Amino acid sequence: MEIAPSASEAVSAPVRRPGKGRLGAAPLLGLLVVALVVVTLASLAIGAVPISPRTILSAMLGSHPLTETQRLILFHLRLPRVLASGLVGSALALAGLLFQGLFRNPIADPYVIGSSGGATFGACIGIFFFSQWSIFGFSGTALFAFIGSAATMALVYSLARSAGRTSVVTLLLAGFAISTIFTNSSYFFELLDKTGTGNRILISFLHGVIGIPTWNELGVGAALLALAMVTALPLMRTLNTLALGDEYAQQLGVRVEAARVSIVLIGSLLTAVAVSLGGMISFAGLIVPHVARLLLGPDHVRLLPVTTLAGAIFLMLADTLARTIFAPTEIPVGILVAFVGGPFFLYLLRKMKRSYTV
Amino acid sequence: MSCLLRLSGVHFDYQGQSVLRQTTFDLEEGSCSALIGTNGVGKTTLLRIAAGVLRPASGSVLLRGQPMETISVKEIARTIALVPQQLELPFEFTVEQVVEQGRTPYIGMLRGPGRSDRLAVDRALDLADVSRLRHRIFNELSGGERQRVKIALGLAQEPRLLLLDEPTQNLDIGRQVELIDLLHFLRDEGITILSSMHDLHLVDKNFSTVLLLSPGQPLASGSPEQMLKPSVLERAFQCPPDRHPLLIERAELYRREAR
Repeated sequence: MEIAPSASEAVSAPVRRPGKGRLGAAPLLGLLVVALVVVTLASLAIGAVPISPRTILSAMLGSHPLTETQRLILFHLRLPRVLASGLVGSALALAGLLFQGLFRNPIADPYVIGSSGGATFGACIGIFFFSQWSIFGFSGTALFAFIGSAATMALVYSLARSAGRTSVVTLLLAGFAISTIFTNSSYFFELLDKTGTGNRILISFLHGVIGIPTWNELGVGAALLALAMVTALPLMRTLNTLALGDEYAQQLGVRVEAARVSIVLIGSLLTAVAVSLGGMISFAGLIVPHVARLLLGPDHVRLLPVTTLAGAIFLMLADTLARTIFAPTEIPVGILVAFVGGPFFLYLLRKMKRSYTV
Repeated sequence: MSCLLRLSGVHFDYQGQSVLRQTTFDLEEGSCSALIGTNGVGKTTLLRIAAGVLRPASGSVLLRGQPMETISVKEIARTIALVPQQLELPFEFTVEQVVEQGRTPYIGMLRGPGRSDRLAVDRALDLADVSRLRHRIFNELSGGERQRVKIALGLAQEPRLLLLDEPTQNLDIGRQVELIDLLHFLRDEGITILSSMHDLHLVDKNFSTVLLLSPGQPLASGSPEQMLKPSVLERAFQCPPDRHPLLIERAELYRREAR
C-alpha cells in the first residue's frame, strides 16, 4: 500500500537512530561482571587494616598464605559483610524494578511505597518475640520481615487502586503513611527490651546498617535471592505487557491478577532479604533500576540481570564508603544512600511533575 | 456467512446506572460494521464486552458459538484484538517493542519471540505504515502516529475480529482516508471489523452494517442507508434537523434519491 508521509509527522520529534543512547545487554553485562570483581576486591582490601588486592588474590589461589590477623579480618569480618551488601543491593534493586514495573511508575521502590517499613516492623516482631524460631533455616526475623512486607504491599496496593487504576498520588501517600506508622511503631519495641540487645539491633535496622552476618544467614539470603530471580524471570515479559495498562494486558491474554500477586510476593521476599541483612536502606531500589533503564531501555527481560548486578555493585561501593569515609567511625550505609537517593527522588518527582498537577 | 460473535440480551451497569440494556447483535465473519451513538452512550463499554475484557451483568457473549467465559484468555486474544482510544506508557518503549506486545498470546512465559512472531510484527508494522517509526520512542510520537502504532499492535495479534474504538480520532483527513483504506484491505483479507465511529461522514460508503446505540433504547442495526436516515439520526443524537450540516446534507441526499 502506497501511503504518503503524514502531515502530523512533520511536527513530531526527529527520528531517533536505532538504539541511540542505549547499550546492548551483553556488553553491559560483561562490563558489570568486571566491575563487580573489581569492586569486591577493592571492598575487601580497604579498611582499618589494608590488605592489598594482590595478597587477597594470592591467598584465594592458595599461593600465598595470609597472616592469622589478615585471615580473621578477611574471612570473618570483611567477606561476609561485602557479600551481604552485595545481596542487599541486588535484592533492593530487583524489588525496585518489579515494583516500578507493576505500578507503572519509576518512583516506586520498597522504601517509598512502605514495603521496607512493613518488613522492618515484621522483623522487629521476629527479633523481640520469636528470636528462637527457625523454619528450614529461615529465622523468625526473616519470616516476619516477609509477612510484614507482603501485608504492607497488599494494603498500600488496595488503597491506591481505584476503578482498575493505580493512582500515583494515593500510592505515594499511602506508602508514606504506612511506612511512617510502621517505622514509628517499631520504636515501641524498645520499651519491651530489658537487656538492650534487641534495641541495638532495632537501631541498626532503622538506620540501615549492614552488619556481619553468619555464613548460614548469607546462604539463606543468597538462596532466597536466587529463588526470587528464577521466579521473576518468566514475569519479566509480563511486566512489559503490563506497561500497556492492566486492561490492555488482559486483552492480550495476560492473567493480570495472578501476575500482580506473584510480583508482589516476589518483591516482598526480596525486601525481606534486604531488611533481614541490612535494615531500612532507602532509595537504592529507586536509583539502580532507573539508571539501568536509561542505559538499556525499558525491556524488563534485559533489565533483570543488569539491575541485579548493578544493585550489588552500588551497595558494595556505598557500604565500603560508609565504613571508611569517616574512619574509624562508621556511618550507617542507609544514611549515606539517603544523601544520594533523596535528591535523586526529588529530581524524578520534578521530571514527572505534570503527573501530579491537579 | 457464519456468525463470529453474538451478543444476546447483554446488560451492563456502571456505578448503579444502566449503560447497556438488552443489547443483541450478531457479527458475521468478514463483515465490516460501524458502531455509532452519542457520547457516553456505551460504545466503548460494548467494545470492551465484545473483547472479553468486561463481563456483562446479564446476557451472553458467544465467540463462534462458544460462551466467552469458557474460552481461555489467550485463545480470545488470538481471535479478538481491541484497539482502544488511549494508550499511555510509563517508560520509553520503542514502537517495535510496543507492537511486539501483540505477540503475547502466542509466546510462552519462558520463550522469547520466534521467527513467526518477528514476521507477524514486521507485517503489522508494514500494514499500519509505521515500519519507519519502529525505533522511535512511542511517547515521542504525534497523536496520529500513535493511533497507527496502536492499530499495528492489534494487527500483530493476527486477530479474526478487530475492534477499534474511535480509530479516526487525532487523524487529519488524509490519514483518515488511509485508515479507511486499511480497514478495506483487512476486510478483504477476511478480518471481521467492528469500529466505533465519531465521524458519520466516513460511515456511509465504508461499512456494510451500522449499529446504533441510543440512550435508553435497545441497539438498532441495519445498512448505512437505513441507519443514516436524517430521521433516525435526529432521534438518536437529539439534534434538530436544520442545525447540523450532516443532517442537512443527508436530508438533501434522500430527497434527491426519492425524486
